Amino acid sequence: MTSERDWRGLLFVAPFLLLYSIILIFPLLRGMWLSLNQVDLFGAGHFVGAGNYARLLRDPVFGTSLVNTFEVTLMIVPALTVIALALAMALNRASRSAAVFRGIFFSSAVLSVTIVTLIWRFVLAPDAGLLGDLWTSLGWQPLPFLSDEHLVLPALALTTIWWSVGFPMLLFLAGLQQIPGDMYEAAALDNASRWTTFWRITLPSMRRMVVLVVMLQTIAQLQMFGQSQLLTAGGPSGASRTAVLFLFESAFGRWELGYASAAAEILFLIILAVTLTQYWATGRATAQSDGR
Amino acid sequence: MAAEFRRGRLSPLGWAGLTAGAAIMLAPLVWTLLLSLKNNAELVGHSEAALHGPYTLQNYAAIFGNSLTLRWLLNSTIVALGQTAGVLILASLAGYGFSRLDFPLRKPLFIFILVGLAIPSQAVILVQHQLFAWLHLHNSYPGLILPGLVAPFGVFFMTTYMRGIPRELDEAAMLDGASRWTIFWKIILPLTIPAQSTLAVFTFLGAWNDYWWPLISATHSSMYTLTVGLAAAQMNYAQTSGLGYLMAQAVFASIPIFIVYIVFQKQIVRAMAGTAVR
Amino acid sequence: MKRIAAALLAMLALGSCAKSDHRTHLYLQRFFGECGAEYGGSTDVAKAEGECGIITALVNRFNAENPDIRIDVNVVAWPGYPQLTAQVAARDPPDLVTMHEGVISDYASKGLVEPVDGYLRAAGISPSDFTEAARQGVTMYGHVYALPWDTHGGLFHVNTALFAKAGLMRAGKPVLPDSADEMLQQARQFERRTGKPYLIQSNVGDPAFAARNLYTYMMAQGAVLFPDAKHVRLNTPIGVDVANYFRRINVEKLGTQNMDTPAAIAAFVSGEGGIYPTGTWMIGSFEQEAKTPGRPLYKSYAVYPYPRLWGAHVEYVSGHSWVVPTRTRTPAQRAAIARFFKFMAAHNYDWTRTGHIPAFKAVLDDPRFKALPHRADIAPLASMGRPLPAYVLRQNAIEGIVGEEAAAAFTGQKSVPQALAAAERRVDQLLATVD
Repeated sequence: MTSERDWRGLLFVAPFLLLYSIILIFPLLRGMWLSLNQVDLFGAGHFVGAGNYARLLRDPVFGTSLVNTFEVTLMIVPALTVIALALAMALNRASRSAAVFRGIFFSSAVLSVTIVTLIWRFVLAPDAGLLGDLWTSLGWQPLPFLSDEHLVLPALALTTIWWSVGFPMLLFLAGLQQIPGDMYEAAALDNASRWTTFWRITLPSMRRMVVLVVMLQTIAQLQMFGQSQLLTAGGPSGASRTAVLFLFESAFGRWELGYASAAAEILFLIILAVTLTQYWATGRATAQSDGR
Repeated sequence: MAAEFRRGRLSPLGWAGLTAGAAIMLAPLVWTLLLSLKNNAELVGHSEAALHGPYTLQNYAAIFGNSLTLRWLLNSTIVALGQTAGVLILASLAGYGFSRLDFPLRKPLFIFILVGLAIPSQAVILVQHQLFAWLHLHNSYPGLILPGLVAPFGVFFMTTYMRGIPRELDEAAMLDGASRWTIFWKIILPLTIPAQSTLAVFTFLGAWNDYWWPLISATHSSMYTLTVGLAAAQMNYAQTSGLGYLMAQAVFASIPIFIVYIVFQKQIVRAMAGTAVR
Repeated sequence: MKRIAAALLAMLALGSCAKSDHRTHLYLQRFFGECGAEYGGSTDVAKAEGECGIITALVNRFNAENPDIRIDVNVVAWPGYPQLTAQVAARDPPDLVTMHEGVISDYASKGLVEPVDGYLRAAGISPSDFTEAARQGVTMYGHVYALPWDTHGGLFHVNTALFAKAGLMRAGKPVLPDSADEMLQQARQFERRTGKPYLIQSNVGDPAFAARNLYTYMMAQGAVLFPDAKHVRLNTPIGVDVANYFRRINVEKLGTQNMDTPAAIAAFVSGEGGIYPTGTWMIGSFEQEAKTPGRPLYKSYAVYPYPRLWGAHVEYVSGHSWVVPTRTRTPAQRAAIARFFKFMAAHNYDWTRTGHIPAFKAVLDDPRFKALPHRADIAPLASMGRPLPAYVLRQNAIEGIVGEEAAAAFTGQKSVPQALAAAERRVDQLLATVD
């Protein structure tokens, strides 16, 4: 084995490392520093230590935005996982029609958030929207999805599920296709019911994939920004303001750079904590099921 | 394990569910298309007019006529292609280094990069904005391309893939006196084409659909990408030329990405399978 | 691989094509909407209608009349301050920006916009040419910081056909209330007789609407909203009264619910309600509807300042102006800005066709202005308008907060004392961090 500890190898990784350090790591560290200062976007600031954090913890607007973020994530992730898994199982066949259906369910995933929110604004808006027109033609009052405080988060969740079902579905398909056929044949020989087959063979084999999907989607939805800003502007009165939208408004609306940085750090910690918890919890679960 | 499809039939209930689901997936897209084909005045206060004719192509004509939409399309294309090329180059170089070369600090540096996978964009975006302001890089193509080049995922992906290439190839070439660079360029790189194309498609999609960074970096409307331009049009809606025109812009903005999707379907599916077999 | 690289380089070169013409370039950023499809190349200002049409035609005309100058326009969504903030933070701001008068002090106090005394002198404009309201709005820290463009405030836009049906017309003019109770009575009468809501409200996504109502009717009763630069007072008996009143309108469904601005505009234009309390900026568009046969508002449109409901007959007003962000400029660019100011001052009458009140005294006396429809009815706005005190900073952010909480109070999402207290707390906190 030629293993000269040759520094020339560094030359290959240096370009990336250089950019990475300047554009990702430096801002991360400086952001942490800024969060300890009261500073606006244009002026010199002064050090306040944990002052921003204390103010954030007392700030009901920030608190509401965190709660909204958690709520909407909880509305999306379980439903999305179940739907994507069901779709993957139903479409895991070689027929032409299955391929067409797979294409249809993936088509929304390639669109940008601005296109998706534009489309869904005119589906959900009570006055000009598709659902509104449908409801009126049936003689009902259109539901104010974008202006009722109880309906806005479900509206965001619905839009996001429509948008995001494609990728998890493909991940699950890939996972399903890794399950060896003989396991199913053995189950069929034992006259196992569909439900038993699912519960005893499919689901355990898919455990890793389910964990991956849940983790990725949770991280993604905790960072929701575009849907909140463009569909409802965080309204009505902050009922659909997510944490990242709060950050954006603090920085570019109110010029409070230090405060916004502190909010960003808190969100970062939450995402890290959630990810690690999920990793640890499922690691134990997998270990338990593996060691049976 | 060969990838296997399941045999067996789906119950009628299953087919009904699938069809209903597909209808829900397609209905908003069809609605958007219909709205884009209507005269704006007809739609004021009566969007249900989209459900019946007469239909017209005037909104699309307007896009090609007096609008910045084409400029936005160019910007999106340049930024997405630029970012894709950049990521492929940097990730391939770094992946080669990490996977087959031994140099001081190799392990710690790799972990250093992996840590970046956990950093969400909002933790860095405000300072990135300040940094790029200091470097006078806003409202420029480099300004839009650079932040996307530092995502660690590409390096991680290429390193993993390259690890799967047998070392014997390298050794044989070195016996022939080939330099590391030649091995990289002539032997390893061609073998990574499947991974490259997958990474390329992902990076392209991500760059094309990026919203937050272009929103605060490209503030001149001539530098908008399609994604940001469409958001601006939507927020301006109260005083715009109309709903039909707005929807035509949405359809127009979707076409390029749908084309990419259709052409590169295989790569996308393979990428998902690849991630699955981690 | 090589071909792709070459193609990329070619595109980069194409995209970064520097304009090598000999014109002086100015970058102008404005709100007022995007209507390139209709008015893209038009220079006929007299034919243009509405805020968007007129401003687009004006800038096009300036470009046409001044071939050695080229103004590139960037349209941003109202109010455009997050974008401007990002641009100023990026050290790359535009040359000319539309800005509400209440917001100027934020940027001026940090030197982020230039005093324009020099440009005004070069353009032959004196601050004494401005109306009193306009002059006060743009003068601070001993300098003039903007070219005033208009004064604007809320108005009651009335559908007179529906009012006739409701029995609320007298001698060809709509009957408007003179007290809070009268408005409730008339509103209920209107609903009974026409089956349509009395008020069309943009309750959703329009904090300015709610803030305007709260500010106006608290000011009318003599409330001092900002006793000093660091505090707002809303959760007072007067504030609670006003908020409860608008809450009542929503409880009795005398006004529409769940509409945002485009929906409200569409509803009024389609004859779905009696009054749309929006501002001066819609007169041009609605007048256009009133002139078009077959439209629901044909010959059925009138407009008046907000009625007196309590106390004095005053109204919260603001104004638009043109500011010049600070950056290094060539002498040619400075001269071009002065010429732009001169052009705009000369065309202030054209802007008033939108419905806004002019910023120049001469236009108020101009017979063309006086002959415009409805101007006699809204003329009182010039004297009854009250802006917020100039020492209040972050007025735009504050309007967002106050509007959000007020809307919550009006729609019942929060209780009135809760919403007003929250507004006070949030605004006080914001002002505390401002130095």
